[in-house]
Amino acid sequence: MRVWIGLCVLGTTLLGAVPAQAQEAEALRKELEDMRKQFEAMKDGYEKAINKLSERIQAIESRPQPSPNVAVPSPAPAAPAPPAQPAVSQAAPGGAPSLLDLAKPREPFSLYQQRGSGQLLFDMGVTGDFVGNLTQNNVQKATGGTFAGLENLFFPREIELSLFGQIDPYARAEVRFEAGEENRGDITVSLAEANLSLMTLPFGTQAKLGLMRNRFGLTNPIHEHDLPFIDRPNVLVRFFGEDGLVESGAEFTWVPPLPFFLELLAGVFNGNNEVAFGSDSLKYPLVTGRARTFFDFEEWGALQLGASVASGYTADRLRNTIVGTDAKYKYKPDGWQHALLTLAGEALYEIRNVNVTGPDANGDGVPDDPASPHTLHRFGAWAYGELQPFRFGPLSLWSLGFRYDWTEYPQNPGHEWAVSPYLSFMPSEFLRFRLGYKHTARSNRDGINLNGGSARDVDELLLQATFILGAHPAHPF
Amino acid sequence: MRWFVFLALASVAGLGAAARTAAAADKVRVVATTTDLKALTEAVGGDLVEVDALARGNQNPHDLEVRPSLMVKVRRADLLVMNGLELDQWAEVVIQGANNPKVVPGAPGRVDASQGILVLEVPTTRVDRSMGDIHPVGNPHYTLDPGMAPAVTANILEGLARVAPASRPTFEANRKAFLGRLEEALTRWTATMAPVKGARVVVDHNLWIYFLTRFGLLQANSIEERPGIPPTPGHLTKLIAIMKEEHIKVILSAPWSDQKLAERVAQDTGAKVVPMASGVGALKGADTYVDMVDYNVKAVAQALRQ
Repeated sequence: MRVWIGLCVLGTTLLGAVPAQAQEAEALRKELEDMRKQFEAMKDGYEKAINKLSERIQAIESRPQPSPNVAVPSPAPAAPAPPAQPAVSQAAPGGAPSLLDLAKPREPFSLYQQRGSGQLLFDMGVTGDFVGNLTQNNVQKATGGTFAGLENLFFPREIELSLFGQIDPYARAEVRFEAGEENRGDITVSLAEANLSLMTLPFGTQAKLGLMRNRFGLTNPIHEHDLPFIDRPNVLVRFFGEDGLVESGAEFTWVPPLPFFLELLAGVFNGNNEVAFGSDSLKYPLVTGRARTFFDFEEWGALQLGASVASGYTADRLRNTIVGTDAKYKYKPDGWQHALLTLAGEALYEIRNVNVTGPDANGDGVPDDPASPHTLHRFGAWAYGELQPFRFGPLSLWSLGFRYDWTEYPQNPGHEWAVSPYLSFMPSEFLRFRLGYKHTARSNRDGINLNGGSARDVDELLLQATFILGAHPAHPF
Repeated sequence: MRWFVFLALASVAGLGAAARTAAAADKVRVVATTTDLKALTEAVGGDLVEVDALARGNQNPHDLEVRPSLMVKVRRADLLVMNGLELDQWAEVVIQGANNPKVVPGAPGRVDASQGILVLEVPTTRVDRSMGDIHPVGNPHYTLDPGMAPAVTANILEGLARVAPASRPTFEANRKAFLGRLEEALTRWTATMAPVKGARVVVDHNLWIYFLTRFGLLQANSIEERPGIPPTPGHLTKLIAIMKEEHIKVILSAPWSDQKLAERVAQDTGAKVVPMASGVGALKGADTYVDMVDYNVKAVAQALRQ
C-alpha cells in the first residue's frame, strides 16, 4: 500500500514537472535566439566598421583627399582628442599631386608611413680615434713624445663602444668599453666607464655611481675623441697620468633652484690613479668637489666658470690635494650653427706630501737618513683658442686652433711648456680630421733620460682622424 | 632723505617682484623645446601657464648648443613639451643636467607632442648616415602644418591636465577656442593657396614637406643634397638644370640656412628666394602661431603668383 501511495505521489510530481521544464526550455531557446540576433547585429556592425576603416586607410594610402576639412581621428591612444572639436584636419592633406611625385626626390623615404619599429631599449654607438705622430729619433729613444712609447707611429688611440639609456623611470646607465694601442703593437681592451645615474632624487639632486671619468675641471670628463684638440693638456697628463682621473665611487650633484645656473658636486672614490692618488681604499678615500656657474650673454656669447678640488692619498698614504679653476667662453653669432670663437683655460695647483729620503753613501740599500716628510707645491695651466670663421660653404668645415701649455712635474723638479697650433676639418658632424704641430721645451726631463735619449726639445707633427658611428649624445657647453 | 626715498623705492620694487613671483608660482611652469610648441602650449594653457622655449625661433632646432642656461629653465619646469621624432634629442642632455625629476623620461611632466600624428617621410628601407643626418623615424617638422594642431594640442592638453587636473575644463575650453580660430584661418589659407595648388618649389632644407603637402604643393628638389651636409658643386649644377627645365621659380629658405647659396641658385635660374618663418618668432611678423602660418602662406602664394 505504502509503495502504491509513493508511486502515485512520484507520478503526480513528474506530471507537474513536465510543463515547467518545457516552459524553461522554451525561455532558454528564446534567450539563445535573442543572443544570436544580438551577436549577428554586432558582427554586422564590426564588419561595417572594419570595412569603413579599411576604405579610409586605402584612401589615405593611395591618394589623400584634397579637402582640408576632412577630419581624421588621431590614431594615438595616448592622446584622445575631445569629441567636440573644430574640424581642422590633422592629416591626409594635399591635393592634385600624386604621392609618387612627392616621394620622387626623396627616396628612400615614403609618405604616410607608420613610425619605425623594433627600436632598441638603449642607444649604442662606436667612436674611432686614430692618431699619428712624427718626431725626432732622440725623442723616440727617450720615449719623450706626447704619446710616450708610441713615437713615430700611427695607431688606434681609442676605439670606444658606448651603450647608454634609461634603466627604468628612475635611473639611466652608461657603459663604455675602450680598445687602444697603449704600447707599441699591444692593443688592450678595457672597461672605461660603467655607471648609473639616479635621476629622480628630491630637492634637485642626482647621484652617479660606478666607474666614471671624474667631473674635475674642463677636459678631464671628456673622452679622447671629443677633446677640442688632439692630445690632453700637458698639466692633466702630468698630474693625473695618460688616462686622466677615472675613478670608482659616487658623485652627487645639486642644482639649486636659482635664477642662474649653479651646480655643486661632491664625490667619494677609491683613489686609484697612477700618479696622484694610489690608496685604492675607501678607508683612505679620494674626495672631490666642483662648483660650476654659467653666464649667458645671448648674442654676445656665453661664459662658464668652474672650480674643482680632489683630495686623497698617494700610494704611500700621504695626503695629496689638487685644486683647479677653469673658464670657457664661446661666441656664437645669432643663427650660426657653430661657435665663431672659443676661448678656454684651466689652471691646477697641487699640494703633495712626499717622503724625502737621504742618500745611501755606503751602498747598503738603506738610506743614511730616515725618510722625512716634505710638501711639494706644483702648478700647471693651459689655455686655448679656436676660430671657425666661416658660417656656410666649404670653408665653414675648417677651424684653426692654438693651445699653450705650462706645467711643473708633480714629483720631480723642473717644468715644461708647449705650443700647439692645429687645423681641423669636419666634413660632417660625425667625421673629423686634425693636423697639428707641437713644440715642447723642458727645463729637464721628467725623471731620467731613458735609453740615453734626450727629450728636452720635442717637435712633433700630429694627425688625428675621428669618426662616430651610431648614437652619440649632444655635448654640453 | 635720499636714503629714505631710495629705500622706499627699493621696498616697492621688492614687493612688486614678490607679488609677480607669487603670481607666477600659481601657474604651471612649462618649458617647450621650440617656439612653435611654446605658442601652442600658451594657446591651450592660457593664463594658467607660464611657458618658456629652449630654442629661439630663428635657431636651427636640430642641433642646439646645450648651454647650462637651458638647464636653469628646465630645472624649474612642471612640464616639458618636446617635439619628438628625434628633432630635439639635445634636450635629453639638458634634462640630465637640470636635476628635475618631474621631466625625466617616463615622468608625468613630459609631453611628446608628436604622439598620434601621421608622420611623413618615414624611411622604408635601411638607412645610414651616407644619406646625411637623416631622421630615422620620419620628418619631424610637423608643427609647420596647421592641420597638425589638433593632435599636437591634444597631447599638450593631456600633459597639462596631468600636472594640473583641476584646470582641465579651462584647458579644454582654451583649446577648443584656439582650434576654432585656426579653422577659420585654415579656410582662408586654403583659399589663398588654391590658385597655386600643384606648383613645384625647391627648398634649402627638407623642412616644409608637411606645409607643402597640406596646401597641395610639390617639393621638386632640395639645395641640400643630403640633410646637414653642404651640397656638392655637382648637385648644384644638376639642381640648376632641373629648375631651368621644369621652370621652378621659388626657393623656400629658412633663416638659419645659407641665404647666399640660395640667392646664387636663384640668380642662375631666375627664381626667387622666399624667406620662410621656420618657427614662431623666426621672422618679423611671425610672432604667433597663426601669424607664422599666415606669413608663410602669403609669402609662398605671392611668390608663386608672380
